[in-house]
Amino acid sequence: MKILIAIGGIDFSKPTLNMGMEIASAFEASSTIAYVGKKISQFSEKDVSVVHQSLDNRQLYRPGIRTLEWACNFLETKGYIDSNSSANFDDHLLIDEDNSRMKVLLKSKNSDNIDLILRTGEIIDQLRDEVFSNGHDITVVGGGKNKGIYHDLIEFIHSSILVVKNFSFNKKYKILLPINNTKGSKKATEMAIRLAQHYKTEIHIVYVKDKKEKDVVKSIETTSNQLSKLKIKNETFLLEGDPVKSITEFAKDDYIISLGVSNKNPIKNFFFGSKPISISKQCNCPVLLVK
Amino acid sequence: MNNSNQIILSSVLYWFSQKKWFVFSILIGIILLNLTTPVGLSIAAYHSLIILIMTFILVMTEPIPFPAIALLALVLQVILGVVSTEELSSTLMNDAVIFVMGSLMFAIAIIHQGLDIRLAEIILKIFGKSKRMLIAGLMLISSILSSFLGEHTVIALMLPIGLSMIKNLDTSNNDSKNAILLVLFSIAYGTIIGSIGTPSGGARNVIMINYLQEFSDIRIDYWNWIEHAYPILFVQLIVAYIVLQFAFPSTLKNIKLSGYKRDIKKRSIQENMSNLFALVIVLLVILSWFLLNEKFGLGIIAVSGALIFMLFGMINWETINKNTNWGVILLFASTISLGIQINETGASGWLVEKFNFLLAEFFAGSENMSWTFMAIISGITANFFTSSATVSLLGPMAIQLQPNDITFALSSAIASSFSFLTVISSPAAMIIYSTGLVNTKVFFRVGIMMFLSSILILYFMSKFYWIHL
Repeated sequence: MKILIAIGGIDFSKPTLNMGMEIASAFEASSTIAYVGKKISQFSEKDVSVVHQSLDNRQLYRPGIRTLEWACNFLETKGYIDSNSSANFDDHLLIDEDNSRMKVLLKSKNSDNIDLILRTGEIIDQLRDEVFSNGHDITVVGGGKNKGIYHDLIEFIHSSILVVKNFSFNKKYKILLPINNTKGSKKATEMAIRLAQHYKTEIHIVYVKDKKEKDVVKSIETTSNQLSKLKIKNETFLLEGDPVKSITEFAKDDYIISLGVSNKNPIKNFFFGSKPISISKQCNCPVLLVK
Repeated sequence: MNNSNQIILSSVLYWFSQKKWFVFSILIGIILLNLTTPVGLSIAAYHSLIILIMTFILVMTEPIPFPAIALLALVLQVILGVVSTEELSSTLMNDAVIFVMGSLMFAIAIIHQGLDIRLAEIILKIFGKSKRMLIAGLMLISSILSSFLGEHTVIALMLPIGLSMIKNLDTSNNDSKNAILLVLFSIAYGTIIGSIGTPSGGARNVIMINYLQEFSDIRIDYWNWIEHAYPILFVQLIVAYIVLQFAFPSTLKNIKLSGYKRDIKKRSIQENMSNLFALVIVLLVILSWFLLNEKFGLGIIAVSGALIFMLFGMINWETINKNTNWGVILLFASTISLGIQINETGASGWLVEKFNFLLAEFFAGSENMSWTFMAIISGITANFFTSSATVSLLGPMAIQLQPNDITFALSSAIASSFSFLTVISSPAAMIIYSTGLVNTKVFFRVGIMMFLSSILILYFMSKFYWIHL
């Protein structure tokens, strides 16, 4: 399994990096930490590239390198990468893989399954390209103020998406598993199981019942039995009403939500939106959108 | 819906979301082509204006690569009957395009020599007595160098100097944060302001000189341009210095220069010799622009500069090839060619007639209002479209407004350099923005003061100073 963790400024990327690495650890996945720099106008892209090369030569470093240095130190303190105490981040090599992707190689700090990447351009475009080229299974992003981005993340990036929203380091989260009778729910259940096993926590299964729906108990029981067989503590809840409102109100900021994304027509989603997009926009806790 | 269908539909949707402005420009083109040609315009002139509108939309929104926009504009000119293939070929390459190509290559050759350390040494020697004087020195040196060598060269040389000065400052401290912005803006504004100083300061200046030669009897050489533009440059510098001190008040006490001073002294004899030789080449090129531009053109001299660096093995072709923005060169060739057709077909004359008619309706045909609107339109357009592209498309119209008076053409070229509002408008702005230390809101907030004061300075200089030349 491969996980892509997108980080931005040092001030707000700590929860994203921390949770992303925890998930990578839970899934025994290799991870790529990517810093996406600002999009440069085509008029100036070569000028900017030449200046960045000059900055590297003077050890002033292009934007993003210091953020990756911070990420590297963070991973070191958390024990994700081995370090040589005399090693210095300044001894890195920058491998220009193409116009917008650069790989940072550290000479004396190593880990076989963590890559540091520097990209430049429009965020969705760069993450989509990274996932497409390297086959990442989960993309981890911070839940910023720009809610318009959620639609593009979910629609255009062909991996599961973990939106790290309002994540607190010391809080004991439970896993919330909203289910219905779709393939997406089955995949979300698999992910929820791995999260629960990693965090050693319980899963709360939620079914939001439509007024017309009758036989919903069977689905809930099946999922609950599946979890019980794996010795995962779980509880079931049957809610009624608008699914988006019900789930966000139920979750508050106490859960990590594992939510399946069904194969709905993307054109319909574009014009009418979708429940996972609305839930990820409105909820106040981390959401894993499973594809 | 099965997975493969979903991926295909999602990819189509993604393509549309990325290319919506391209689709929009094509739709606008189709709609306009199906409308009746306006009275007083030939079909070729009308079609040239449709291509102009499409090019504006595409360059501003960048949904497709620049070379694709350039090729689209060329293809449309021939397909829509604006110009024949033979005529198009003859308008594609001229001194302005050669200058754009030469100056980009020359810039890369200069930057590659590592002259920034030498420059830092000189700046610290002259202005290093006080930190506030050093800020003024950064701005002044950026501006003078940029007036000869262009923005993209100078910002690349000066930014490492500025960043070295501020590299240990703490961005969470307000005083330090303002010091960082003060240093970065001083370099960027110095560079932007300087680019008006001489014809070689920016491609827009050379494009305007070429248009003047093509569409009017006015001739302006290197010296004439300096006479007109340099006083504006100095007044703008003073205003910019004051504006920046107010916008980013800082004690500068956290800027520590001792480490940097030690670093720049560590130079080998070989590096010194190589720097000296590079400096001689740069001075020779500048001297040639002064003395030989009438005979050879500015473009050929710029190309010669890059050639000398290559012949002496001071830079290799691979480095130049990798770092030259060939897409921009192709785009300028295409937009200059379109600009010429807009003038040749009578479209610019028609636009100017409508412009004057509208002004007469509201302001009783005042020449001052005509100048003001022209300068503001040039300045604002340049902030969204870049200065050189603005002049290449609006230049013919600025000349048509007053074909026998240099004031309008020169003012349009100079106003196009007032790229203080957006970070996309000039290489200097984009480069300081790319450091991640400057955001678009701050750039606009300070830039609006500079933009308005620069228009006023230009107005007073053109009214009260240029008439004496």
